[in-house]
Amino acid sequence: MTKRNHESRSLPLDGASIISEYRLLDGVPDEMIDPAGALRPGWDRLMSAFDDLGSSELAARFERADQYLRDAGVFYRKYDGAEGKERAWPLAHIPLLIAEDEWNSISSGLKQRAELLEMIVTDIYGDNRLVQEGLLPPELVAQNNEFLRPLVGVQPAGGHFLHFCAFELGRGPDGAWWVLGDRAQAPSGAGFALENRVATTRALSDIYADMNIQRLAGFFRDFRDHLFAHARRDGGRVGILTPGQLNETYFEHAYIARYLGLMLLEGEDLVVEDGQVMVRTVAGLKPVSVLWRRMDASFVDPLELRYDSRIGTPGMVEAVRSGSIAMINALGTGILETRALAAFLPRICKHLLGTGLDLPEIATWWCGQSAERDYVLDNFDTLMIGPAFATTLPFDDLRGTVLGASMTPAQKAQLKARIESHGKDYVGQEPVRLSTAPVYVAGQLEPRPITLRVFASRTENGWTLMPGGFARVGSTPDTTALAMQRGGQAADVWVVSSAPVEQVSLLPQEGERLIRNAPGSLPSRAADNLLWLGRYAERCEATLRILRAYNARLAELSKPDLPILTRCSEFLETIDIDATEPMPQGLLRSIDSAVHSASQIRDRFSPDGWLALNDMQKTAQRFASRIRIGDDSTRAMTVLLRKLAGFSGLVHENMYRFAGWRFLEMGRRIERALQIARITGWLTHEDAPDGSLEMLLEIGDSVMSHRRRYSVTAGTQSAVDLLILDPLNPRSALFQLSELRTQLEALPGGVRDGQLSAVAKAALQLQTRLKIAEPEEVTPDVLDDIAAETGLLASLIAAHYFT
Amino acid sequence: MLYDIRLTLSYDYDAPVHGGRHHIRVAPCTIPGVQRVVASSLSFSPAPHRETSFIDFFGNAVSDITFVEPHAKLEVRLAARVVVEETERSEARSATREQLALEITRYWSVEPDSPQHFLAASPRVQIVPEITAYGADATKSSLSVYAAALDLCRAIHRDFEYDPSATDVETKPAEAFALRRGVCQDFAHVMIAGLRGLGIPAGYVSGFLRTLPPAGQPRLEGADAMHAWVRAWCGAHLGWVEFDPTNAMVAGPDHIAIGHGRDYADISPIVGVLRTYGSHETRQSVDVITVE
Repeated sequence: MTKRNHESRSLPLDGASIISEYRLLDGVPDEMIDPAGALRPGWDRLMSAFDDLGSSELAARFERADQYLRDAGVFYRKYDGAEGKERAWPLAHIPLLIAEDEWNSISSGLKQRAELLEMIVTDIYGDNRLVQEGLLPPELVAQNNEFLRPLVGVQPAGGHFLHFCAFELGRGPDGAWWVLGDRAQAPSGAGFALENRVATTRALSDIYADMNIQRLAGFFRDFRDHLFAHARRDGGRVGILTPGQLNETYFEHAYIARYLGLMLLEGEDLVVEDGQVMVRTVAGLKPVSVLWRRMDASFVDPLELRYDSRIGTPGMVEAVRSGSIAMINALGTGILETRALAAFLPRICKHLLGTGLDLPEIATWWCGQSAERDYVLDNFDTLMIGPAFATTLPFDDLRGTVLGASMTPAQKAQLKARIESHGKDYVGQEPVRLSTAPVYVAGQLEPRPITLRVFASRTENGWTLMPGGFARVGSTPDTTALAMQRGGQAADVWVVSSAPVEQVSLLPQEGERLIRNAPGSLPSRAADNLLWLGRYAERCEATLRILRAYNARLAELSKPDLPILTRCSEFLETIDIDATEPMPQGLLRSIDSAVHSASQIRDRFSPDGWLALNDMQKTAQRFASRIRIGDDSTRAMTVLLRKLAGFSGLVHENMYRFAGWRFLEMGRRIERALQIARITGWLTHEDAPDGSLEMLLEIGDSVMSHRRRYSVTAGTQSAVDLLILDPLNPRSALFQLSELRTQLEALPGGVRDGQLSAVAKAALQLQTRLKIAEPEEVTPDVLDDIAAETGLLASLIAAHYFT
Repeated sequence: MLYDIRLTLSYDYDAPVHGGRHHIRVAPCTIPGVQRVVASSLSFSPAPHRETSFIDFFGNAVSDITFVEPHAKLEVRLAARVVVEETERSEARSATREQLALEITRYWSVEPDSPQHFLAASPRVQIVPEITAYGADATKSSLSVYAAALDLCRAIHRDFEYDPSATDVETKPAEAFALRRGVCQDFAHVMIAGLRGLGIPAGYVSGFLRTLPPAGQPRLEGADAMHAWVRAWCGAHLGWVEFDPTNAMVAGPDHIAIGHGRDYADISPIVGVLRTYGSHETRQSVDVITVE
């Protein structure tokens, strides 16, 4: 049953308006249209702006938002099989509008809730009065996996457990907002909220600018100030602790790290020394004082928490106990997400705050108590049944939570028997119905259920809320909260003010002191990945050049057993490349390795660089199924070389010369010196057939230079001179070593107590050897030795900077 | 009874380890009215770079040692003198099995000794339907909680074979149960799983056994190594009572406790994180001598 519901508006009704076809669901409140049938505040302006744009311009605008998300590489990871796949961020294009006064009442209700949660968690890890006084059943604490015993009695640094929380809200059939769940462990989504905002305003910038929408940047600025205020007290660094790039929301960790200027850290980047958390950087160990934790607490320390954790740091709990590290949020706060806790919050709130909850929450009955268990069993068909100790939201819980009414008689009997015998493991909850908001489907507006995710952070002036940013939109018109299990989209949320709003940006404001981040903050793991990214990229380039030269000759002569081709394919074999494959697997592996290295340091280079690298990978994979050897392959290698040059150019032209860039550069230089020395040795060998030198110059991209520099046809000595010993040829081995030394000198720790480091010494030695060598001395044996020495430099760098 | 305890744990690594950090729980504890530590000293070789200690949630003393230098061998040595009292545990004060659930429900506390911590699955003890069924069968005629625990303790001793080659330190209770074999750690875990499955709070005790029996009595099983047994909560009056399924007995003056937890993971002698790639070999020697 649907009905037309906006007769009273002054907007055109003749089909010219986009809302004339919007049909409300019966008995379900809607965010755009109020119960009287009028458009709610703000929506009238948004809808007439849509009408002014017209349908094709509107579609083009929304495409612009999608294009932005693709270009920025916004993704999340979804685990539905064994392996998580990267998925594009599913933006619902129409923002959800909420009027300021309504927002203010949500806001004050959630601040009360955040205060209450802080008091509860303080009690759980402190005096336990709530249990002793009968307000919180001991089972919910003592039998809860989120109750972390090593943290009992530990005062968090700075005095607070909670600093950053999220709340999931829905509007029920009575029109009021309800709290559906609390996220207090390590809430995700704030970074995606920012991306929702950026993408949505790409599409609707003029409308956005006109409408007095509250900005998000101020919220992040205040929270960053809060984090750094903590750190300033003891001078340590501030980082985001991430489980790593396989996590569902790793994109967001990297994004927020970049946006707020925090270090992106994994457990293995950290070490605890004398109770102090230190980060391994290329300049040695540096203290860390604040960790914004995006890892579940039980994984952070294999010594005292989950002993099977492979992503933690031994001693982290000790550091917490000693008060030297502030965890945002404190370890152990995950217990607040326990679903059964909701059953007790109303009474606890009365007891602790002397007043009721300002925002109602989803009614919950814990079956560990006999009266409540009986109620759930008697009202089974009208309730949603779920695990009492679950910490997921009911609609994120794909297996555990079910509607009583939806079960077969046999399933019901089984679950009821289980509740009889193991009541404490179950809760019954009111199956909340949600409100709808318009989404854009094929040029039309259709109502879909929504939930609101609201982020709250602690600042020096108490709790503050992110004004908007994130709503979840269901994929079907089914408005039972559980239907959200089937996934859907995310929408920006606009809080509409009646007066102009303050403009905020994270750039320093006038009068604000400019803070430069200290150098030497490059974690060793990131440096290692950057070095390898440089090496793999260069290895790809060298391989591509050889394959192109090989295939060009094959196409020209079409005799695969020609000596020069045999010589070349034998060389390729030594680097694991099968020349008979048009797109060799070995090359694809090198490209994959480059992408893999890059994926672990997404916070350190631009989205453009990342996309260029991905584009090259996709192109190579596409070629693999299509091309044939010879001419086809020659052209493919040229395309890939051009794409690789695009990546290198982006890095070279755009990347700030922090230490990170230097490691990337050193990786490239080492690999290029090594590759050119090896191929030169192979093709200047006395067994090398005719045509080898020409091929070598082509591979070394030095045909023109050779012609200009030596007025003779290529001889072994002129080729060696140009490709190995020439200080000015950017492809020569000597040139690479000189560049490598430049980077080493610019890095911290190159000289200690007046002594060169081992790696600086070795680089100097090798450079000097090439500087003073004469072409005729540089035999294939010498070249092999030079290649080996160059490879050794990489190990010395690793020993010096990464351990 | 007065005992002198000597313990040496040695770890030989295939390749030298570069640094490492360990938590050690091997020193006996004082339990008022049950046992008292007269003197206790713990030493390590090589000497750790750093050594601190703390008391964990369940009240166990933990030594936290850190190494930075490469080392191929680690030795932990304990010397302690402990007085163990003769205590009387009377079944008469035990709750009946019918009363127990109510007594637990009324126990509004999450203090470390609260039975509430010892009812659910824990890191190393899952609740396994087969073990629960076995426990129900073994205790079908036991009226008190005490009797149920003792009956299950005896059943395990009767049905399981002591066999150090059948299991290792990582063996799960369900595996040991299927084999009906194992060592003290396995028997303790199976008994804990069984008791919890029946709604009886149960925990894990780590400790030592007197090496040589009093004249005329048999030598206890497991006396040549560190030992483990079980404690069960027999209601608010009687409280915790310790049972040794390896020897089918209530723990008495021959048992010297180090400490306790929900299972092995809470009180294992050594927890460690090493930076190494190889494996290692472990040896332990234990002497528990009576002092006259």
